[in-house]
Amino acid sequence: MIRTFYDEMYAADGQLRPHYREFARWLANTPPELLAQRRREADLLFHRAGITFTLYGDEQGTERLIPFDTIPRAIPASEWRVVEKGCIQRVKALNLFLADLYHDQRILKAGIIPAEQVLANEQYQLAMQGLDLHRGLYAHISGVDLVRDGDGSYYVLEDNLRTPSGVSYMLEDRKMMMRLFPELFAAQRIAPIDHYPNLLLDTLKSASPLDDPSVVVLTPGRFNSAFFEHAFLAREMGVELVEGADLFVRDERVFMRTTDGPKAVDVIYRRLDDAFLDPLAFNPDSMLGVPGLLSAYRCGNVVLANAIGTGVADDKSIYPYVTDMIRFYLDEEPILKNVPTWQCRKPEELSHVLAHLPELVVKETQGSGGYGMLVGPASTKAEIEAFAQRIKARPAAYIAQPTLSLSTCPTFVENGIAPRHIDLRPFVLSGRETRVVPGGLTRVALREGSLVVNSSQGGGTKDTWVVED
Amino acid sequence: MRLTISHETAYHYEDQVRTSIQYLRLTPPDNERQQVLCWALDLPRPVRAQRDPFGNILHVLSLEEPHADLIISARGQVEIDPTCEAEHDTQSPLPFLRFTRLTEADDALRHFAGQHCGPRRDRGALIDLMAALHERMLYRPGSTAVDTSAAQAFAGGAGVCQDHAHAFLACSRSLGVPARYVSGYLFDNDSQHMASHAWAEAWLEGAWYSFDVTNQLALPERHLKLAVGLDYLDACPVRGMRRGGGYEQMHASVLVTPTLQAQQQ
Repeated sequence: MIRTFYDEMYAADGQLRPHYREFARWLANTPPELLAQRRREADLLFHRAGITFTLYGDEQGTERLIPFDTIPRAIPASEWRVVEKGCIQRVKALNLFLADLYHDQRILKAGIIPAEQVLANEQYQLAMQGLDLHRGLYAHISGVDLVRDGDGSYYVLEDNLRTPSGVSYMLEDRKMMMRLFPELFAAQRIAPIDHYPNLLLDTLKSASPLDDPSVVVLTPGRFNSAFFEHAFLAREMGVELVEGADLFVRDERVFMRTTDGPKAVDVIYRRLDDAFLDPLAFNPDSMLGVPGLLSAYRCGNVVLANAIGTGVADDKSIYPYVTDMIRFYLDEEPILKNVPTWQCRKPEELSHVLAHLPELVVKETQGSGGYGMLVGPASTKAEIEAFAQRIKARPAAYIAQPTLSLSTCPTFVENGIAPRHIDLRPFVLSGRETRVVPGGLTRVALREGSLVVNSSQGGGTKDTWVVED
Repeated sequence: MRLTISHETAYHYEDQVRTSIQYLRLTPPDNERQQVLCWALDLPRPVRAQRDPFGNILHVLSLEEPHADLIISARGQVEIDPTCEAEHDTQSPLPFLRFTRLTEADDALRHFAGQHCGPRRDRGALIDLMAALHERMLYRPGSTAVDTSAAQAFAGGAGVCQDHAHAFLACSRSLGVPARYVSGYLFDNDSQHMASHAWAEAWLEGAWYSFDVTNQLALPERHLKLAVGLDYLDACPVRGMRRGGGYEQMHASVLVTPTLQAQQQ
């Protein structure tokens, strides 16, 4: 099967795309030795800053540097405005869906989503039923994963409404590029992103009905793969970074232990999954949470960002319905496309999937991070056969999608520069208004031909530019 | 039937507990079957009642002062209608189709449920299932622990009321019938004795029906309900955490007396 890829820098006829003109001119005029030296500098600086990533399933618990590529991913501003509108539209609909789901369930009554698929879903939290949240917002911080198919059109691959990570790489990649190559930023207008921590703090504060609420970042601790990011964001926002043991609940209020005695906490930016938040209400073995937190939350005395129970909206089994949600709640046509999805829970779709496994990507509905998925075209016959058995054993746990091409972007590799596949995760903040900083995190699959961009699977990152055109 | 209940749980710790917090589900709710005439918790400090995610009455007791003893007592009077067969509900029962770690149905449980119910999904089928589970899983205190799952207890062929309830939930859910865990008290007519107990409820034709595997009772005539949930962890009367304290001794006593009523007829 011959596939055509959309390249971000070069059109099909080999012509340079206009928004890369300045960069290409600069690249041509910069001696390769200087570039190589700068790349070594970048590695050193990242190491020194401690920007590392712990791999799961790695016996040694290796901390690995996420490779940073110095060729940026650039998006023309006119194109970005459409992507931005599409992301905002999508996250608004998802928040309305969550508010509806935990109250009147109009969308279930209208028969648009089968009730059992939502209510029997493990991510649907009874604790949220009937609970009123300030502004009716559930996902204050969202990440929308986008890819571009062969014709260059954007598709949403998945929504991340639980504890989306990666924004620290977006910010650090930009800082690094500005430090190494300041001339690039003088030559053209690249939209700034350094106000993200301010927007985040503003969003978190606006999630509370109080005038000046106290905010903390709750981390599972230094062994978490994203600990660097938790510490980074707390520092950038100027708020406390806490672990579960630093907080306690008394009379349905949350307090932080400090050397000056207990201090009330109003908003918790939690980077901890629902199941670990309160060992008295959820997973009893959790050493990471705060006993009693759920009671304080349900009494309305503390805000959790994101809310509990957002996972039911970004579950891969619910994903196929997001375009319907946009029509149902906003009465608008979706700006961004969904990838066509077969639900293995439906017998007729299951047989189609099983018959076409070599062409499809199959994902676990509960999986994330690129673990537990099958990329048909890149798998051996034996791997496909083994995966088919897993699907047959638990069909409801899988969905399948056509293998998307994923656009490419020139990337430094061992022997020079070569195209590698990329995706894009813009971060959407929902508060008084819904906002997106221009661009997002671009992840790149560094192995030749690979379509898996997750950092746990050997992916790297690039600075993402929105270039005024 | 009117019952007067007194339930005391006393904890003694080897060392001082620095702080502790407990979720208490020790207050029965009013429903079609039971009417609470009066009920009071006696706690070391006053605590407001709230509703938990399942609608149960929850008290959250947090103690920040060092303590070596903790006494939690509940007492009150309840009127039970022993003829009431089922409880109606306006909330969707669908969330009670989901499995939890404690109620996961493995192949053995699925097979067992299928074997005893076949294509039937009515009350009669679940009564057969209840009887079969009673026969298959001997009532043997000490054979399981609080964190034993339905599958483990079923494989071991023994358990207590909690394990019976979990196994029933796993089977019922595997058949596509929503089912929930109930914690409460059981009144024993012969010994004038009442004990903490657990049983199951399944959703049939728009209402929750009781299935007490341990006692083979499909009518909760001697049961007082405290709380419901997906499994033991959601509904148990006391779930707490503490810092310090070391080894713990716990003593619980439940006393019940049927209240003599003036003849109404």
